[in-house]
Amino acid sequence: MDNSKLNSPENIKTQLTSDNQLLRIENLRIGYNLSGSKIVSLHNNINITVAEGEFIAMLGPNGAGKSTLLKSLTAIIPSLSGNIYYGGKDLNNLSRKEIAKLVAVVLTDKIADRYLTAYDIVGTGRYPYGSFTGNLTSLDKEKIVDAFTVVGAEELTNRVYYSLSDGEKQKIMLARAIAQDTPLILLDEPTAYIDSPGKVIIMNLLNDLVLKHNKTILLTTHDTELALNYATRLWLLGKENYFEEGNPADMINSGLINKLFDREGVVFNKNNRRFEIKN
Amino acid sequence: MISGKHTNVIFIILPLLIVLLFLINLWYGSVVINWIDVWDTLIFSGNANQSSQIIILQYRLPQAITAMSVGIGLSISGLLLQTTFSNPLAGPSVLGISAGASLGVAIMVLLGGAVGLELSGALLILEDLSIVLAAFAGAIVVLLIIIFVSGKVGNAVTILIIGIMIGYLVSAIVGTMQFFSSAEDLHAFILWGLGSFSKTSVVQSISILVITLVVMVATLAFVKPLNAMLLGQQYAVSSGFNVKLLQSVFILISGFLIALGTAFTGPIAFIGLAVPHIARTVFRTSNHRILLPAVVLIGAALTLGCNFISKLPGYDASLPINAVTSIVGAPIVIWVIIKGRRMSNG
Repeated sequence: MDNSKLNSPENIKTQLTSDNQLLRIENLRIGYNLSGSKIVSLHNNINITVAEGEFIAMLGPNGAGKSTLLKSLTAIIPSLSGNIYYGGKDLNNLSRKEIAKLVAVVLTDKIADRYLTAYDIVGTGRYPYGSFTGNLTSLDKEKIVDAFTVVGAEELTNRVYYSLSDGEKQKIMLARAIAQDTPLILLDEPTAYIDSPGKVIIMNLLNDLVLKHNKTILLTTHDTELALNYATRLWLLGKENYFEEGNPADMINSGLINKLFDREGVVFNKNNRRFEIKN
Repeated sequence: MISGKHTNVIFIILPLLIVLLFLINLWYGSVVINWIDVWDTLIFSGNANQSSQIIILQYRLPQAITAMSVGIGLSISGLLLQTTFSNPLAGPSVLGISAGASLGVAIMVLLGGAVGLELSGALLILEDLSIVLAAFAGAIVVLLIIIFVSGKVGNAVTILIIGIMIGYLVSAIVGTMQFFSSAEDLHAFILWGLGSFSKTSVVQSISILVITLVVMVATLAFVKPLNAMLLGQQYAVSSGFNVKLLQSVFILISGFLIALGTAFTGPIAFIGLAVPHIARTVFRTSNHRILLPAVVLIGAALTLGCNFISKLPGYDASLPINAVTSIVGAPIVIWVIIKGRRMSNG
């Protein structure tokens, strides 16, 4: 009994605040376990921690394992070996529901349903809490309204999700993650398929979440130039176990960004933080 | 989504419609009974005409109860399967479960006939019951195979494809058995395949109703995970649900309902596929908190309506129920999908 109380997400949240460390990854091996015994390993040995209040951008070419790492951290896909600790508690020892109270996700998955409203979707963020029957409590409703306000999408509340633009859809999925009320939010390419002003709006929102709402953000992106303006830390993932981390300024100066995205004829200009054609 | 008020009005109209269709099913048939006798029979006043009372209590009442119960069961299973597999075409026939039932019956009727296992006279009742058991056994065997596969695989599309393949396989075996069986056995088997709500006794029909209602209430506990699954497997996992386990549970529940219905009535086409689509269009929502009660009510009403239509030719010749559900169901699905598409685009 006492033991289960120690494991409760509320307890973990308090522990997190006390030592400021949100997430610790030890000797993590990620990849896919295909049918039979065939294992595709993307990274063999990741060791890193995430502190509260960080805004981390994961950069790297396609196939480097960014999404796989993101999904491994929430046990959406199992990691191959190693350990993931949330405030000292091993992810393997947490129930799905407990995990859902610690980390929320925004994925690239499309939602095919044609009838769900934005409110219905954000409401699913409250499912780890509340009643068995799916009736929303008054606290749930409050959190949902708050989430719409934070992302500035109050006017979309009763719209059918399917009829929204890609940018609006992304705001709703973000509101869902906010309603889930977790210290950590993971986002898989949150700015993909969104027009340029929309990308900036999303990144600003995420920045606000870190600064004003005590959230910690870990996202993957291909919008490198944009990410460099917001991230407090970068994780660079490449093929063949390449993994580097550091603050953006250091990584730009040391030429690591340039090295990671090394393509014939394209260089990263350290001064204006843009990719340019090599002359 | 439509307003809550609109939803409430439909939820009041539907039960009234069910009561009306239920009474019409008791009143109409090869012999049309006057309404006063229907009423007197139902309240056991003892004033009803003797033969009317027998017709209603022994034939039409169990038939109507069975139709309603099987309609409810198939509609729930259709909804569960469509949500579980994120596929609007999923329904009772796709997982091969009703094909499994027909294999059970084929073994009983066709092979049984071939080895000279003919029952007659008083044993005919036993034969009826053994067909029910054979159908149920066949359906459950296929269901267990699917559950086993879903435990191994986890991916919804893969499970669906394997289910469809098992269906083909089972149908091929049944087809082969039909080819080698006698004309008389074949006739009996085809009759079973056309479906009928009129083969159940009062006790059987009430049993089906009670079991269906119990399963229905149990299903209401799954509103949250069902809604979460509408966002896709990964989002459902991130909301704190064990999706792999839930998939197996939903396949088990729907498989059981299909097996139960098919065993007593033969395979009934289209109800399970059509009703969830009708419910979504009428209530303009995918939220299972509304959809689950909605498919129950619409399923009951539609099946009672189809059963009434099947009796329309009068005399002793009622239309095969499977033909009626297809003729009524297919255009409804087409209409609903075209209408739904236009509304969500416009």
